[in-house]
Amino acid sequence: MKIERAFPLFAAAFAVIYVIAVEYNLALVTYHPKLKEWGFLTEQPKAGGPAMYWYGWILTATLGAGVVSLAALPILPRLKSFVWIGWVIPLLVMASFLYFLRTFFLH
Amino acid sequence: MTTFLLIIHTLVAVALLGSLTHQAVAACWPSASKAGFVASYRSVSAARFTNVNIALYVTMLVLGGVIYPAYRVGVRTYLESARLYSSVGYFEMKEQFVTIGLGLLPLFWLLWRQPLEKDLQFARAATTFLLCFIVWFSFIVGHLLVNVRGLFGL
Repeated sequence: MKIERAFPLFAAAFAVIYVIAVEYNLALVTYHPKLKEWGFLTEQPKAGGPAMYWYGWILTATLGAGVVSLAALPILPRLKSFVWIGWVIPLLVMASFLYFLRTFFLH
Repeated sequence: MTTFLLIIHTLVAVALLGSLTHQAVAACWPSASKAGFVASYRSVSAARFTNVNIALYVTMLVLGGVIYPAYRVGVRTYLESARLYSSVGYFEMKEQFVTIGLGLLPLFWLLWRQPLEKDLQFARAATTFLLCFIVWFSFIVGHLLVNVRGLFGL
């Protein structure tokens, strides 16, 4: 059983879990840049400064995609038959971000 | 220190732009001939760029992550107070695209693993092109943001 067979699934799962993590703010860690302080899971901003969730979203997506890939490894079909999901799903997730971020451009 | 890291981040991004564009062109528009500049550009051994591109991408992302708090505290608040919401939006887009590119790297490595599988040629070209797009988009957005005060006359 070769772990690289799961890489297309990892790429797809990473993108999907990442967009869910961003939209529902499921961060494994939070950074408070003004205080230079880390917090576990999603925390509210402190001391009038912003809270940064990006690092936490990356951790969520990496861990989630890793678990999904390892769990699916025994039942994965041959690489060539499903390698397309590895780039098509991330491409669709990128397109979805154009929609989710539209409010920045509607002011 | 942040300025120094920003310059290193930019230089790494420039190296990645060149290297990944080279690989993407060779993957999407290969050439067997080396006659002339364009054909030579297209005919490189694209697989040899893979590990360097992955290392440069991760380095660029880590450096971006290190200087990100300075942007979040100093620059973004300024952009919001100047009502430059579209600039903030483009940075958000860059942030999300670059992260999705991070998840693509293991697949990118697999697709370019030697010996190259002919059946995976389309997936190889598509993945490389997607990463190349992410890096170009991020570079242009980053460059515009660094110059935002001059560009908007602020």
